[in-house]
Amino acid sequence: MRNEARLGWALTLPALAAIAVVAVFPIVWTVWESLHFHDLRMPWLGRPFVGIANYAEAVSSVRFWRAMAHTAVFTAATVTLELAGGLLLALIVDRISRGRDLVRTAVLLPWAIPTVVVALVWRFLFESPAGIVNDILLRLGVSPPTWFADATAAWVPLMLADVWKMTPFVAILLLAGLQNIDRSLYEAARIDGAGWGRQLTDITLPLVRPALFVAFIFRTLDAFRVFDVIYVMTGGGPGTATEPIALLTFSSLLQNLRFGFGAALSVIVFAVSFMFAVACIRVLGREALMERVR
Amino acid sequence: MRRVAPINLCMVNVAARCGRVAVLALVVALSACGTGRDPDVLTFAGSAVGAEADAVRRQLDRFHAAHPAIRVELRVTPDASDQRHQLYVQWLNAHAPDPDVLQLDVVWTPEFAAAGWILDLDRFHPPTADFFPAAVAANRWNGVLYALPWFIDVGMLYWRTDLMSQPPVDVADLERLAARAKDEHGVPFGLVWQGARYEGLVTVFLEYLGAFGGRILDEEGRVVLDSDAALTALTTMRDEISVDRIVPPAVLTWQEEQVRFAFQNGQAAFMRNWPYAYGLLQDASQSRVAGRFAIAPMPGGTGGAPTSALGGSVLAINAYSDNREAAYLLIDYLLQPEQLLERARLVGQYPPRPTLYETQALADALKIDPGEARRIIERAVARPVTPVYTELSEMLQIALHRALTHQQEPRAALEDASASMQALLDKVGLSPHVHEK
Repeated sequence: MRNEARLGWALTLPALAAIAVVAVFPIVWTVWESLHFHDLRMPWLGRPFVGIANYAEAVSSVRFWRAMAHTAVFTAATVTLELAGGLLLALIVDRISRGRDLVRTAVLLPWAIPTVVVALVWRFLFESPAGIVNDILLRLGVSPPTWFADATAAWVPLMLADVWKMTPFVAILLLAGLQNIDRSLYEAARIDGAGWGRQLTDITLPLVRPALFVAFIFRTLDAFRVFDVIYVMTGGGPGTATEPIALLTFSSLLQNLRFGFGAALSVIVFAVSFMFAVACIRVLGREALMERVR
Repeated sequence: MRRVAPINLCMVNVAARCGRVAVLALVVALSACGTGRDPDVLTFAGSAVGAEADAVRRQLDRFHAAHPAIRVELRVTPDASDQRHQLYVQWLNAHAPDPDVLQLDVVWTPEFAAAGWILDLDRFHPPTADFFPAAVAANRWNGVLYALPWFIDVGMLYWRTDLMSQPPVDVADLERLAARAKDEHGVPFGLVWQGARYEGLVTVFLEYLGAFGGRILDEEGRVVLDSDAALTALTTMRDEISVDRIVPPAVLTWQEEQVRFAFQNGQAAFMRNWPYAYGLLQDASQSRVAGRFAIAPMPGGTGGAPTSALGGSVLAINAYSDNREAAYLLIDYLLQPEQLLERARLVGQYPPRPTLYETQALADALKIDPGEARRIIERAVARPVTPVYTELSEMLQIALHRALTHQQEPRAALEDASASMQALLDKVGLSPHVHEK
């Protein structure tokens, strides 16, 4: 028994070591860095320990709270749309009997395109004054805003691009969930006289819940650290009206070279994601996940 | 799906970010020691795109022919300014001994100098009197010279000679002429300038600011953007878009190239841009306005004077270089009139030596009146000379863009910007060296 335990440790050691090197060490290092003043532009000031000064600066800055709010709004809106759209798409694809593989591949295409390319295409569509979207709106008699120079309108192309790219991913996750449902349940329901709507609410939705939950966690954590789509399309502008927390971190770290402050922002992003994931598992998903793991 | 997956996911997020820094550090380390440095090889890092690459290669080859003992290697760096900046910082922060000679944007000089990354050049007794004083002054930090100007960028007004007979005499006249071109000649846009949230917007603002007699820092290095002149300048820019409607709102997302395309396609009566656009606009194969435009200084306004933002590239020596003498030899060679004239001819860049502006050779190379160019350069105003310029500029960019996109009133935006810029300067404990006009 003890031998077995030892063997078990020995076998998992490489994996544990890898996790320590690629996950634990960088996190600890980042936390340590965040407690220092470290500005690459001013090496003569050294790297003194400053305690929580970087965190204090972050939470007292308006730009930081705006970035957090932008991130929250973006996450809430895109995740809702993606889950709803993904579920709809999955239900449709699930109904298709002929050429399902082909349809599935086609559905997944937007997801396979690199985000930067997606962002460039959508920016091009919404370009002012000569973008295709503006052209269509003008033909319909609507006068379009200057999308990327309008603090509110700028969110439209940003969210559309993200939803367009990520909905297929959600759909595929949910499709797998749908196809795991025992078909005989539907048969039984039909015999008992349950209609399509009843089958959806009493069989499909409850049974697809674990997959829906996994998609929700994935997308929320992903949306929370949104960077590339916004970096390419608006750069966080106009002003900082669409700047998410990841972009603020990037500009502090790599443009202004404030490593200590940037590390503090990274740690905050990490802590929020971490707490969110833990809370999700505690509150919502324990049984859902356990069921899935079986 | 294992239970730990979501937690793992966000760990990977942070890990990936740190990993990227680690990988970059590794790349820097490898490039520093892996090249098997040959002491006789001098490395030069700069931009080498299109015609510029051609010009640089030719000149490096000729330098080698003149100094057979020194071989020069060209290290091509990213064309995008902030990417090149990042790369340089990583190299220099790691004390890499190469590249020996660096092409810098003029606003980086104080940052690199204060960090001790570039060598003071006073030791070589460079002939600073042969260069435009403003261009030299922008390369001094605490009174010490750290770089020499290679070519000069100035903001100027491109105007359509087929729509009017004279360039505007002041800002009000410019707005009048722009409105008339729109109404009478059916040109879609009166005036186009760089209005996206990036460095270009700061330079445009600097020109309006100077036009109305304002400045960013006063003699003591205090931020003075809460002045009436600054308010007038920013309000004028905003109103040109939303009240007078001579500037299209799309400029709020435009950088140099989009602005050039609009002017080049004949869509604008006026354009604010750098000298590089001139040659491209004269090329009839791609430009609809070839032969139908001219340049003029940016106009002045009430209380101020015509002002151009001073930009351009400078040459500096890596402080960790073990080839300092040879490095200066190369810089000196690249700054000789012959080389500068060749760059003017091939790339259309303005040389930093005032005496060249009296020569026919430069007139032939640039295809414009060198006297006009010289007048513009002599009125050029440098941006604040401080090691934290990048961050200072970012604060200003955000404030300007917020005001121009109606997220904030100009007065409040300028007050916020002044406060945060001053706080930054106070925090880093540096009194920025103010460049005398």
